[in-house]
Amino acid sequence: MLYEIKNLVKQYDDRVVLGLPHASLPSGKIIGLLGPNGAGKTTLLEILAFLLAPTLGEVFYQSSKVHHHESNILAFRQKVVLVQQKPILFSTTVFKNIEFPLKIRKQNRIDRKRIIEDLLRLVGMQGFKDAKAHHLSGGETQRIAIAQALACSPEVILMDEPTASVDVENQIIIERIIREINKDKGISVIFTTHDMIQATRVADETMFLYEGRIAESIHENIFSGFIETDETGQKYCVLLNQKKFQVQTDRNGPVRISIKPNLLTIRPVTEHPFESNTYQGRLLQLTHERNRIRALVDMDMPISVLIPPLVFATLSLKLGEEVFLTCPPESFEFL
Amino acid sequence: MTFFLDSFQSAVLLILSLDRELLEIIGVSLNVSFASTCIASIMGIPLGLYIALNEFPLKRFVLTVLNTLLALPTVVIGLFVYSFISRRGLFGPLDLLYSQKAMVIGQVILIIPIITVFTVAAVSRIDDRYRKTALTLGAGALQTAWVIIREARFSIVAAVIMAFGRVIAEVGISMMLGGNAKGFTRTMTTAMALEYDKGEFVLSIALGIVLLLVSFTVNIFFNYLQGRSKI
Repeated sequence: MLYEIKNLVKQYDDRVVLGLPHASLPSGKIIGLLGPNGAGKTTLLEILAFLLAPTLGEVFYQSSKVHHHESNILAFRQKVVLVQQKPILFSTTVFKNIEFPLKIRKQNRIDRKRIIEDLLRLVGMQGFKDAKAHHLSGGETQRIAIAQALACSPEVILMDEPTASVDVENQIIIERIIREINKDKGISVIFTTHDMIQATRVADETMFLYEGRIAESIHENIFSGFIETDETGQKYCVLLNQKKFQVQTDRNGPVRISIKPNLLTIRPVTEHPFESNTYQGRLLQLTHERNRIRALVDMDMPISVLIPPLVFATLSLKLGEEVFLTCPPESFEFL
Repeated sequence: MTFFLDSFQSAVLLILSLDRELLEIIGVSLNVSFASTCIASIMGIPLGLYIALNEFPLKRFVLTVLNTLLALPTVVIGLFVYSFISRRGLFGPLDLLYSQKAMVIGQVILIIPIITVFTVAAVSRIDDRYRKTALTLGAGALQTAWVIIREARFSIVAAVIMAFGRVIAEVGISMMLGGNAKGFTRTMTTAMALEYDKGEFVLSIALGIVLLLVSFTVNIFFNYLQGRSKI
């Protein structure tokens, strides 16, 4: 096992940002850490990169217990490298940025030059050797940061939202690099994302984080709402788009909910909706995810729906057309 | 006005003639100021780096004390150091009083707070991602510190230049601890004070012109660095 975490807690003052009773991360794989903003993904990555010490608990790296405050932490750090969400390069040339970890590892001059050229080729930036690092775009900076990380010859690369601030072209390149470094160089990759589709596309395994805890599945379709009760005692959740859904809950007032995408049903508007909790929306996107279809419906707020392929085949859905979306009360989870 | 113009003209001629006494005084001034700036930098930059990058009890208090020391009068430092190095003082047997070493000691005390406080300010402004990047790339504590100094280099060098400007222009410490001995501890500022007392303005004005030229050169360098830091 690459990492093993036991009773890990990270706390800032009185606020617990991470609380993981147990987690194991296998080696040699691409692992996606999924979760919304504030789920504790970055904190977990910094702990896994040995840059941040947990308040409580134990971290094992390849079965060795990590003592974050002791002098041997440098030996652990030299096996793992973190590419930050918005990486920053030193104010010098691209060449010298990639050379930095090689100099630390006392590589000779000729080897340094060869490795840097190979890495620049891998990230598709051969012509940028002498460019000033601070003059690069966000996507280029991200790619050089990956090259810089690879220069460490790490056993693990941790990437914090590697495609969060780059355009589609750079996103495709970065996803290709992630696959290549895992398959060709055998480096384990752990990356965070809040994009379910990207995690499915790139990761071999996924782990879900929500409010600092491991969740069984990612909470999707997270919205704020308000619980109202009618004269018969039936409760309704009114979302920000003013749509009103029947729900089963003891709660009152403002709530935060997650609508489970696998419990929603979608149909073309040719059929008349009989069920309650059904509203009309526009089908914006259809994507294939392993053994299911994901549909994105615009109901003045984007809602993801997961459809089994056999059901999807019977629906004849067309992109851009109006659909009915039914959100049964059991699809509402109160967070 | 004529008196001033005549004195000014004579001073320029004195400079152009490379007067031996004038050069000697300039030499002592630059020598003492460079030495004290170097020693204070070696002590103040790591101290500033440590204060900026670490959390420890009384950190705020330490910063308040350093900020207070920025306004420390040179005569107070002169008196303080004198009490230690005079014949009756703790370090009296070392025979430091009225030497360039004594002036350097006093000037180091004067500018350590300047270099430290401005290094703290420079390093605090540096993005924490530089530190994290250096650490994750496998750098040790010293290599990480070097990365941070490198990124804050323009501001730190500006602090050092400012400190040099402070010591080359000070008169209290040089007078009290150096004693204004001709050829040994006479600096531009102490010589100017002496010449003024004697009513001899030519050398005084000549030294004033040189001092202004040194300040001007330092400022040009300072502006050049500030310009570079925006790149």
